[in-house]
Amino acid sequence: MEKKETVVVDSDLKGIIPLFFKNRESDIEVLKESLANKKYEKIEQIGHQLKGAGGSYGFDYISEIGKKIEDLASESNTIEIRQLINELESYVNTVEISYD
Amino acid sequence: MDILIVDDSESIRVFLEQILKSCNYDSLSFATDGQEALAMVDKKLQSGEEYDLILLDIILPEMNGIEICSILKKEYKLDEVPIIMVTGREDKETLKNAFAAGAMDYITKPISTVELKARVRSALKLRQAVKKRIAREKELEKLTIELQNANKKLNKLASIDGLTGLSNRRYFDKALEKEAARMAREDKKLGILMIDIDNFKNYNDLYGHQAGDDCLKKVASTISETVFRPGDLAARYGGEEFVVILPDTDREGIYEVAERIRQAIENLGIEHNDSPVAGHVTVSIGAAVSNLKNNEDGETIVKLADDALYQAKENGRNQTVIASQNN
Repeated sequence: MEKKETVVVDSDLKGIIPLFFKNRESDIEVLKESLANKKYEKIEQIGHQLKGAGGSYGFDYISEIGKKIEDLASESNTIEIRQLINELESYVNTVEISYD
Repeated sequence: MDILIVDDSESIRVFLEQILKSCNYDSLSFATDGQEALAMVDKKLQSGEEYDLILLDIILPEMNGIEICSILKKEYKLDEVPIIMVTGREDKETLKNAFAAGAMDYITKPISTVELKARVRSALKLRQAVKKRIAREKELEKLTIELQNANKKLNKLASIDGLTGLSNRRYFDKALEKEAARMAREDKKLGILMIDIDNFKNYNDLYGHQAGDDCLKKVASTISETVFRPGDLAARYGGEEFVVILPDTDREGIYEVAERIRQAIENLGIEHNDSPVAGHVTVSIGAAVSNLKNNEDGETIVKLADDALYQAKENGRNQTVIASQNN
């Protein structure tokens, strides 16, 4: 898993990066809640959306986590999903961004 | 160029908005699911417009992108609108279904901005060419209709007598030939009336040509009002002479029509102080009917009616004479 600490983002997207992170924070909330209630379908859906959105903005690592969550949700793998949610949360809180 | 973006992920919608706006595609609309997308397309169609490009996510709640694409193409008839599928799935089966549903192209998620820009650009280029073609076709269709209308008008003008508004001699000759052939084919009788205004030269000399023209117009419109079955045709034969074609008519029928015309003209009561017949304008009518056997044609009947008209004049005018014949 390649994890870049500083991500280069297209400067056209600068204005919507705060919204992007706000959406990821709410994704993390929903993921936690869904996991507690074993709503794996919802988890799979959010994983799929993370996979699609992350790399589009330049955050390939978010796409990777999203893909894993999507796959694990279909196996109802609670433990690994919890680890991934935590990893996503710490990544979102620490990643540095520069614009090209 | 109007672009519709259908995606349930806000992050993807604002991403597409941002990138496309950076390329100066400013007219962007957004839908989050199939129902909303179809409603928007429908609304635009109601106002006679179409989106120029639709970017369609495949994985959506309720209706998926492939179903939406298929409905847009089949039910909304968006044959000429390019649809690009935006998909996190690129397995063969999904792509095959997308193309079968009418998608033009696809972009994979995560989206590469370079790829997005290139594919949107080429789709819109195609759309532009299609729009030009549609506009040309519409223009051509409009011109064709105008030409057809002009031709109809021209044909009508070429077949109408300018003074009286009745059919002219040229049109009468064609109609006579056609009706004679039709009656012969259907084994029916064809009737002809030759109508001549009595002592019209005297009328012109006494009242002037302007009054003469007015008289011709009144007589013409009276004839035309009195002859009303479909297929009946009144025409100006020349000068003060008129002719009427009456298909599928027997001797009794044609006499009745002739007398109705003669009396209607007499009832107009147009003053004619130099008429040896009456103090008003009258007509003489020669009638003939034939079943078009024995090598007879339309011209033959016209000749018979003309002879009968001569007889009516000889007999003292203001009357109808029917040509006597065996059939």
